[in-house]
Amino acid sequence: MEDRRLKSEAGLHRMRSLFRLLSSSFVKDWVEMETKIKNLLEEGRVDGFWAYKTAHGFPVPWLFTNENAHELEPWQPTSARYPLLKLLLALSRQNPEKIYGILVRGCEERGLQELFKWSQLDRNKVIALGQACSEEMALYCECRQPYPDRLDYGRAVAPVSKNDRIEGLHAMEMDERLDWWRTHMNRCIRCHGCRDVCPVCFCTECSLQHPDLIPGTELPPDTSFHLVRAVHMGGRCIDCGLCEEVCPARIPLRSLYKEVNRLVEEIYGYTPGTEGAMSPFTFLGEELLLPQGPQ
Amino acid sequence: MREREFEPKILAFLCNWCSYAGADLAGVSRLQYPPNIRVIRVMCSGSVSLHHLLHAFQKGADGVLVAGCHIGDCHYLKGNYMTLKRVKFIEGLLRFAGYDPARLRLEWISAAEGIKFAEVVRDFTSRIQTLGPTPSFEAIPQYGRQETEVGSRTA
Repeated sequence: MEDRRLKSEAGLHRMRSLFRLLSSSFVKDWVEMETKIKNLLEEGRVDGFWAYKTAHGFPVPWLFTNENAHELEPWQPTSARYPLLKLLLALSRQNPEKIYGILVRGCEERGLQELFKWSQLDRNKVIALGQACSEEMALYCECRQPYPDRLDYGRAVAPVSKNDRIEGLHAMEMDERLDWWRTHMNRCIRCHGCRDVCPVCFCTECSLQHPDLIPGTELPPDTSFHLVRAVHMGGRCIDCGLCEEVCPARIPLRSLYKEVNRLVEEIYGYTPGTEGAMSPFTFLGEELLLPQGPQ
Repeated sequence: MREREFEPKILAFLCNWCSYAGADLAGVSRLQYPPNIRVIRVMCSGSVSLHHLLHAFQKGADGVLVAGCHIGDCHYLKGNYMTLKRVKFIEGLLRFAGYDPARLRLEWISAAEGIKFAEVVRDFTSRIQTLGPTPSFEAIPQYGRQETEVGSRTA
């Protein structure tokens, strides 16, 4: 009897090591995504899960619930990027008592942190599963962390520290830079796409639609349209780059917000999307860097 | 006719408790300073949003002065910390967008510093005079407000 128990334990151990071996490769992810999400749904730990589903050959955002859990597909590396956070935020606002799960990339996880910190989402009402980005994507985005802290699917690739987007601009003369920005910004059609897709743009009232700040009668809008938005991105932008991808005029917005992030980091040492400290632009932000007492 | 010198338009946000009183003192003491400054009184320099600064430039201000109480003297305790944080940030952003951050100036002027106020306005006006008119914020200048030669756009 005792012997059999030992044997079965050994078998279990062997199975576990085999499982660990598998888990080091993609194979595990392919098999596991379905089961992981299904388990979450079946155990009732989440009421719905935001992930992707293939429709007409393309991955599209999809909310999986117990009713359509059978439609879940195995995870596969994809370059598709959608504002899942935006969908999550909208749904959570409508159903504040429900718990939702979400599949996140590195940038989306940073976005989640920001939304938690700005009290837009409840930490206890969101369960995130992480997926890593491919190396090409990381290089394209010049991403400082192309994988989430909690990584469930895929393999983490090295962060990219180079920042070609803004270095080229820094090398220019001031007038040259102004002209450069103008040639890009005069294509703006004021569609507000950059704002609508942004995962950390959660306000219900927007300064970009304030008739006095941004006159709504002119096209293209003043460059201050983009500067006002850039001001709002200070201490908040998680560098997901959806704004640039969604822009119909292909304005290099990401360069602007990357510089905003660099400035906030340089002046205040704050990196958006990290746990803990709040943005320096909240009223009770970090004031240690400033001189004390009368000057 | 002799071409008139460029007269800059300078917008000043003065806080109610210190800098506005400082400007008042400069006036009462009959100190001389250039008339290029337009004053907006705000309750606290911390209530000056970065939108207001951008909006001022967008509307054609050649220079913007923000003045508040000295650090530690704020009537609202921490308002001027906020101003300092914001202005530091917007200077970098303006530089990156191609606008000279020297057009924006932050000063701490107390209610007793009428002399300093006059000094700051004098100094700032002459600096803006050398910089010339502010570049247009409009994306296509030729279709919007005409970019004028130095001197032709006077008050």
